[in-house]
Amino acid sequence: CEDELDQSPISSGSVPTFYRSATDFNQALSATYSVLRGYPDRELTLSETRSDNIYGVSTQGIRPWESVNNFATTLATSEYVDDAWSSNYTGIFRANVLLDQLAQNGSVLTDDARNRMEGEAKFLRAFYYFNLVQYFGPVPLVDKPLDPAAVRTINRTPVAEVYDLIIRDLQTAGDKLSSSYTGADVGRATKWAAKGMLARVYITRSGPTHGIDGPGRGTNDYAAANTLLDEIINSKLFTFLPVYADIFSYTNENNKEVLFDIQYISGGTGLGASYPSILVTGNYFNSVVANTSGFSTGDELRAASDNLINTYAQNDLRRAQALQVGFTVPASGSTPAVTEPRAAFKKYLDVPKRGSSRTDWSINFIVLRYTDILMMKAECVLKGGGAGDVDGIMNQVRRRGIANAPLVTGTTFDQLMEERRREFVGEGLRWHDLLRSPSAVNIMNNWIAADDIRNRMRKPINANDLIYPVPQSEMAASGYLYKQNPGYN
Amino acid sequence: VQARASFKAVAEWQLTGKVTSANGEGIPGVTVVLKGSTRGTTTGADGSFTIAVPESAGTLVFSSIGFLTQERSFTGAQSFSVKLAEDTKALDEVVVVGYGTQKKADVTGAIATLDASKLEERPILRVDQALVGTLAGVQVQQNTGLPGRGFTVQIRGNGSITANNQPLYVIDGFPLEAVSPNSNGNYANGSPLDNINPNDIQSIEVLKDAAAAAIYGSRAANGVVLVTTKRGKTGKPQISFNTYAGVSQAVRKMDLLSSEEWIERATELINGAWVRSAPGRSASDNNDVRRAALKLAPGAYDPGLMPDDRWSQPGHPGLDYVDWQDEIFRTGKVQNYQVSAAGATDNVNYYVSGNYTNQDGIVIGVNYKRYSARANMEVQASKRLKFGLNISPSYSISNDPGVEGKDNILQKLITTAPVVESTAGLNTNYGKFDRYLWANSNNSPYSLLTDRQQRSTNFRTLSTVFGELQIIEGLRFRTTLNLDNNDARNKSYVPNATSGGLGATGTFSAYRKQAFVNENTLGYNRTLFDKHSISALAGYSYNFFKTETDKLKSSGGFVNGAVTTLNGAQNISGTADNGTSETQNVLLSYFGRLQYAFDGKYLLSASVRRDGSSRFGENDKWGVFPAASVGWRISQESFMQAVKPVSELKLRASLGYSGNNGIGDYSSVPTLGIYNYVFGNALSTGQAPNIAANPDLRWEKSRTVDFGLDYGFLKNRIFGSFDYYTKTSSDLLLNQPVPGSSGFGSQLVNIGEVVNRGWEVEMNTRNLTGAFQWNTALNLTHNQNQVKHLGAGDAPIEIGTAAYGAASVLLQVGQPMYSIYVVEQTGILTQQDLDNGTPIIQGQTVGDPKYFDANGDGIISVADRKIMGQPSPKLVWGITNTFNYKGFDLSVLVQGQNGGSMYSLIGRAIDGTSMGYNQNVSGNQRDRWRSVDSPGAGIRGQARANFSPLLSSSWLYSTNYYRVRNITVGYNLGNVLNKRIAQGARVYLSAENFFGHDNYTGGYNVEATNSSNSSDGFSVATDYGGLPLTKSMTLGLNVTF
Repeated sequence: CEDELDQSPISSGSVPTFYRSATDFNQALSATYSVLRGYPDRELTLSETRSDNIYGVSTQGIRPWESVNNFATTLATSEYVDDAWSSNYTGIFRANVLLDQLAQNGSVLTDDARNRMEGEAKFLRAFYYFNLVQYFGPVPLVDKPLDPAAVRTINRTPVAEVYDLIIRDLQTAGDKLSSSYTGADVGRATKWAAKGMLARVYITRSGPTHGIDGPGRGTNDYAAANTLLDEIINSKLFTFLPVYADIFSYTNENNKEVLFDIQYISGGTGLGASYPSILVTGNYFNSVVANTSGFSTGDELRAASDNLINTYAQNDLRRAQALQVGFTVPASGSTPAVTEPRAAFKKYLDVPKRGSSRTDWSINFIVLRYTDILMMKAECVLKGGGAGDVDGIMNQVRRRGIANAPLVTGTTFDQLMEERRREFVGEGLRWHDLLRSPSAVNIMNNWIAADDIRNRMRKPINANDLIYPVPQSEMAASGYLYKQNPGYN
Repeated sequence: VQARASFKAVAEWQLTGKVTSANGEGIPGVTVVLKGSTRGTTTGADGSFTIAVPESAGTLVFSSIGFLTQERSFTGAQSFSVKLAEDTKALDEVVVVGYGTQKKADVTGAIATLDASKLEERPILRVDQALVGTLAGVQVQQNTGLPGRGFTVQIRGNGSITANNQPLYVIDGFPLEAVSPNSNGNYANGSPLDNINPNDIQSIEVLKDAAAAAIYGSRAANGVVLVTTKRGKTGKPQISFNTYAGVSQAVRKMDLLSSEEWIERATELINGAWVRSAPGRSASDNNDVRRAALKLAPGAYDPGLMPDDRWSQPGHPGLDYVDWQDEIFRTGKVQNYQVSAAGATDNVNYYVSGNYTNQDGIVIGVNYKRYSARANMEVQASKRLKFGLNISPSYSISNDPGVEGKDNILQKLITTAPVVESTAGLNTNYGKFDRYLWANSNNSPYSLLTDRQQRSTNFRTLSTVFGELQIIEGLRFRTTLNLDNNDARNKSYVPNATSGGLGATGTFSAYRKQAFVNENTLGYNRTLFDKHSISALAGYSYNFFKTETDKLKSSGGFVNGAVTTLNGAQNISGTADNGTSETQNVLLSYFGRLQYAFDGKYLLSASVRRDGSSRFGENDKWGVFPAASVGWRISQESFMQAVKPVSELKLRASLGYSGNNGIGDYSSVPTLGIYNYVFGNALSTGQAPNIAANPDLRWEKSRTVDFGLDYGFLKNRIFGSFDYYTKTSSDLLLNQPVPGSSGFGSQLVNIGEVVNRGWEVEMNTRNLTGAFQWNTALNLTHNQNQVKHLGAGDAPIEIGTAAYGAASVLLQVGQPMYSIYVVEQTGILTQQDLDNGTPIIQGQTVGDPKYFDANGDGIISVADRKIMGQPSPKLVWGITNTFNYKGFDLSVLVQGQNGGSMYSLIGRAIDGTSMGYNQNVSGNQRDRWRSVDSPGAGIRGQARANFSPLLSSSWLYSTNYYRVRNITVGYNLGNVLNKRIAQGARVYLSAENFFGHDNYTGGYNVEATNSSNSSDGFSVATDYGGLPLTKSMTLGLNVTF
């Protein structure tokens, strides 16, 4: 009878009986990818809303993201900051467990499969660590599965050491991963995704330090980045799509621009995206298709800043794709027409193609695309990392946005970065791009001074604001082992 | 005919007589039986009887409830005069203890007893409701206003941080599966007391200290509640009919802004936004000026910057002003019917009952119905062998459109703007009706209540079959088989607020919970050499608990609104929302107990239980829980005989260990969760570890030391008890927050220690006897808990507040559990404060709340949080006064608590900092700061704030209250009723919750819990919109035939 005290879960698997077959390992890998699903929402808040792209000040009440937008010094308690820390570490944990199990039980896999899985796991681990470094600077470095009690003793590790792991992992991934996938494997990280991410890591690390312990280390890795970017360009596997809107079309996913994206499907399976509608209001939806307000996340607009709107030429197709400046819900019954003069972010919205709910959009989120490869290449060239036609890349990009845009010559770094802003608006890159500019703090302060008509933002901000605080919950859970980033309390 | 007559004349003697009580009054209904036969009769109204017996010498047996049975022999026809003595060993003198009964005088543990046999004389719907305010050391909270839902019961405070903190319920010896409320504070998966009909209950015993409870070992740390149902008694079969019907209403409405006040506030905010939106704009700009400036079309609005023109027009044409509370609260109704029959012969003892209750809640759409039946049967098969069967099927139907809790209808109701378009009326922003442009996106709470269908049904059968064999004199073997089968089915159909059935979501979920328990005990009771009373018990118990759940969810809406079952859904897909699951656990136990009394003076009891549970790690499955107690009945000593005023005096002391296994079934196993991803535009299943496993997980231990005193004075005109206890819980099962870099947020570990210390007083007085009787029962409990140890380095644990930034709850050594940890608001900032450099949160200005800079660093931040209160009250009390006069009875129950606080999220939602104009807000905002010249009450800041607020003391409320729970006036119709019609009858009128007071302005019910105020793993429940208590007036009738 006492044998009955040994009970195993009936309705869920458990670790002791898992990692025994190729299917098990595939599932463990999918679970490691699955953490990516929260990435776009996070970038729209912590990167886009933080930056000069969005003036996220509500007309009523105080919304949770406003502390991000307004540079509150109390950000350590923000749910968004908390999520950025814990989600990335969830992904890292799953990658660590998978790598550990591959080493122990990987013999059930073919060599090819084992290599590919190791590459994917390391790509993802590097991806999550890079996201952490970009937001927080030094973070505890955990590269194998450990008991929580052991993790509790690991302090924040210098950024340089974290970069070492990121670079090692991406190099391994670049060696081990396939060039491309077809059919049921579309969406997995490729060799080129790894190389492209590594280039992004290099130029990020090469950025200015701003005098803080952040992602920029001034390491001058532009040549290394340039080499990787050239490899990608020379592979000829990717193309610069001629029509900007085609990159983001619901019917043109996984197109030739895409090096890496996060995959979503609609259909109520819980695998849809929520990011397309988190910045807009129900009124925006109603202004497009009646009675669709339920597809918005809230009733407060996170509006595009005037500064962003004004950076575009009126006829820039990229603005038309990304922004709806002013919209009106027609009068209905006794309700008068409602006009919203501000600009809504609608880059990923195709209202007729909505899924079953506001979290059920099918559109993939592009993390890394070919245009970025080209523009990073231009950046490397400007920084002396190699040879290349910077003006050519600029004009190619500009003319896709504005037919017959006047050609530019002698492109400066600042011009390149402003072009990146127009090109990649809403793709989660703005804040990270700003950090690569030596004048990031000035750019922000000038913008805040001009655009903060409701006088809600902290001003002036300083270099400490370029990275986020360690979440308060992590400070507490570590027993205050971690030292808080300066400027936060 | 002749033959028969002659037979009778030859064969029978006529026996007659009268049965009287000690004071000479005739006793009706006394059973008179010829011993050894089935021949018998009962006495009439005056106590007289006639019985014919065969012509041979024999014995008559006279028996009646409350009197000692008497036997009288006869040798011929004769007349008897029988005086029955009252049974001094009345029922309340014996208490039920674990696995048996004990003379109250011999009890050495801390046991509180509730004589529940009179529960039917007052309208009670649940067993836990009966415990409110009646027992010392037992705190019962009514967390919900929904009828039929479980209360939380806490015995001697809360000793566990993560594991269950509710007592173990044992019904007629059947230990039910312990279930704790979820982190929202309610019983989503059923309370152990669901569907149990309180009218079937004879008595309730609460085992409070470990000495009394440790016989239940690993589940006894939170105390044990023993419920004993009714049995038939020898005597005339007793048939009872009890009924009541009544009406109820919300105890109170919340103070919210009226429509006019809401408009005043909205105008202030909108004009403020307009003025700030660009230089040169003035609050006096009319809407045409604003339209021109905003380049809007004629007639178009930007509601954030333009007020509704109709607000200022006389009679507000086209707009209706609505008081949502008036629209959705209604007069509830309750009715209850109970029929029971009880009786016993020499060989068979039975109690059967049927009950129906129906309660319409005080809110539209809320209803609860219950049908239940019970049959308790015992058969004395032979002198040595007894069998019994208790079976109690019940069925309940509960309708609740989703009223309580975060983002549910009550919260919407409170926050919905009190102004609507006349064309939409109560249906604003629902179906084809538009949202009022200046209102938030809440759908009409009225429409939600009338349109949504959420129904839970619960079919539960509790059954026990037992056999008892007397092996030799005093030695009994008893075996029981118990099954609790609980089938719950929930259906929900939620129409889409805009597209109705087409966008509706529907779910079906069900669970079957089964508890199977087999217990085998060997008991020995003997009195040796007159003075040594020995009682020994040994037993083995096997417990198997299984839960199966099923769920289905629609996707893609419904075909139309006519079919609300899931066959009408467009589709059912998605593994996360559809499927079945099972969990089970096994508990094995060996236990023994020895009780010894010498000369009724010196008392000793010791018990031990060894429990093994499948819930724990491989090496720590077993735990041993010993207990011992001693007692000294000083009043029995010869030197006390001279002290006449003291009728009873007993000292008790006990020490015991018990445990807690109230965690999930597989908490020690590293289980896998499902985390899917998409490849190739198709679902790709993912699995990964979902808990930080702990192979060393073991029992939570609890040690209780109890010193008690039982007293009785003046021939027990005053009697009661006093207890002082220290309950130390260690190796706490605690979901310790761990660094996120471990991949998890928390891990279930055995760390820490919590001490609950307190005293309890029970006092019963018979103030007046005689024709006018007045009795008082008072109970008073003080409990204070304190965290003694936590994990590594005793580091404080901040319990994250889900989605609200910094933690507002703290576990810290030396402080009460779940201390409320927030920034203190000290007033409103003035210009002088700013000039003086008073610390502020960045962005704060004149008119904003002023906070206390606890760490003195010159700015206000999370570092300035301090402990501002504790959730558990320090003092809980109840007083019942009963009066009897000439057939009238009056009973008044008053109860209350002091010293606790609640951090209310509904308070934050309606009384927060910088709430939008488009929602309604608390009446506290009426006295907000408006300007330097109109600073209001100095408590609430300006309507619009420009800073990110921290969790502050602004939403901290005292939970002190007193409440007149019940007033019942009854009249005994026995004196006016013909005994041929009924033996007894009583009518009563009962008023519940009519009077009381508390200071809770953040919500309706100071005890409400319906939402979690914590991240996963901690049970810090708070109010996010709970229904008010109901005040009800009920008329009832009890008849005995």
